[in-house]
Amino acid sequence: MEESPLHSFELHDWIPISLGGLDVSINKAVMIMWIVVSLVTVLMVIAGSARKLVPGKLQNMAEIMVDFIRGIIMDTMGKEGMRFFPLIATLFLFILFSNLIGLIPGSYTVTSQIIVTAVFSCLVYGLSLVMGFFLHGVKFFGILVPPGTPGWLLPLMVPIELISQLARPISLAVRLFANMTAGHVILGVLFGLSISGGLLIGWLPFAFTIAMNGLEVGIAFIQAYIFTVLTCVYLGDAFHLHGHDEHAH
Amino acid sequence: MPQFESHFFSSLIFWEILSFAILLFVLYKYAFPGILGMLEEREKKIKDSLDQAERHRSEAERKLKEYEAKLNTAAKEAEGILAAAKERAQRLMEENEQRMTTEAERIKGDATREIDQERRKAIQDIRAQTTELALMVAEKVVLRSLNEADHRKFADEALEALSKSYQR
Repeated sequence: MEESPLHSFELHDWIPISLGGLDVSINKAVMIMWIVVSLVTVLMVIAGSARKLVPGKLQNMAEIMVDFIRGIIMDTMGKEGMRFFPLIATLFLFILFSNLIGLIPGSYTVTSQIIVTAVFSCLVYGLSLVMGFFLHGVKFFGILVPPGTPGWLLPLMVPIELISQLARPISLAVRLFANMTAGHVILGVLFGLSISGGLLIGWLPFAFTIAMNGLEVGIAFIQAYIFTVLTCVYLGDAFHLHGHDEHAH
Repeated sequence: MPQFESHFFSSLIFWEILSFAILLFVLYKYAFPGILGMLEEREKKIKDSLDQAERHRSEAERKLKEYEAKLNTAAKEAEGILAAAKERAQRLMEENEQRMTTEAERIKGDATREIDQERRKAIQDIRAQTTELALMVAEKVVLRSLNEADHRKFADEALEALSKSYQR
């Protein structure tokens, strides 16, 4: 049974739908997205409506996550960053649950699709640009000049900063995609080995599969966290513009 | 890699944006206000409880001080009452003693006066008797014939007897 480790990333149109010439067919990834959305919705809405002073398990879990994201925002952006809380928290929950559901054998990892992570990173980076120009106007180009740069270094620094800025959305998208893909490729390879190895030797890669799955759960959390933190950092940069605003006060 | 198959891009982008938007809307509307509100409420509640505990503590301390002060006052008052009672008892005793002394003095005075009176009366009686006696003596002396020397002697004797009896 020869199966490519990349086989699990393949998609097939289940229900072909065309919306004014745009192909919006339902496939496995879309189904999983819906499951993610409904799961997060059920979890958070129930937890949000519980409103008990001494929380139950579900409420406690939801509160820990919300408090966690609030802590990230407070650390990176400060109090005014809380206006982005719904966006950032939704992003975190969507990515986290996509990563986690992807670890269930037979399901699909939405975040292992480069286009999915790219949409998120473009959304975040686009928002940071829009907000930066909205708040600071033309002065937002100052983000290309690190504070304290001598004038004669500008021809060098501006291109470097420009590249680093443009690398942000790309690295953001690729990091999540690559981590998820790599993890599942490893799991696929190990599982393939244990299948082809038979009972005699196959238990060893199978044990590794289990261990890797545990590791992947951690990675699912870490990658969701990194994505969220970087989102906050990028938005915070646009907000404070090198922290000029912060120090001026 | 299957992920770079652009055939699925349009549907993935479409459904991702749609489902993300729906999720964002639902959570924004129904979940986050509740959870954030709950967190804040709990923070406030904990802070309030701590404040209240602090308030109660200081109040208890204040009450304790108050009671201690009251106790002190009560003790002082009791001391005062005791001292007053002692003083009163002392005074009563002294008063009593004084009254007794006065009474005794009075009785003694009365007795003395009575004795004095009796004595005076006795002296008067004696004097009267002495006079009578002297007269009797004189009579007897006069009745016997005596010479000058005898007269003198008898008179002396009588006088001496008189003065002796008077002295007694």
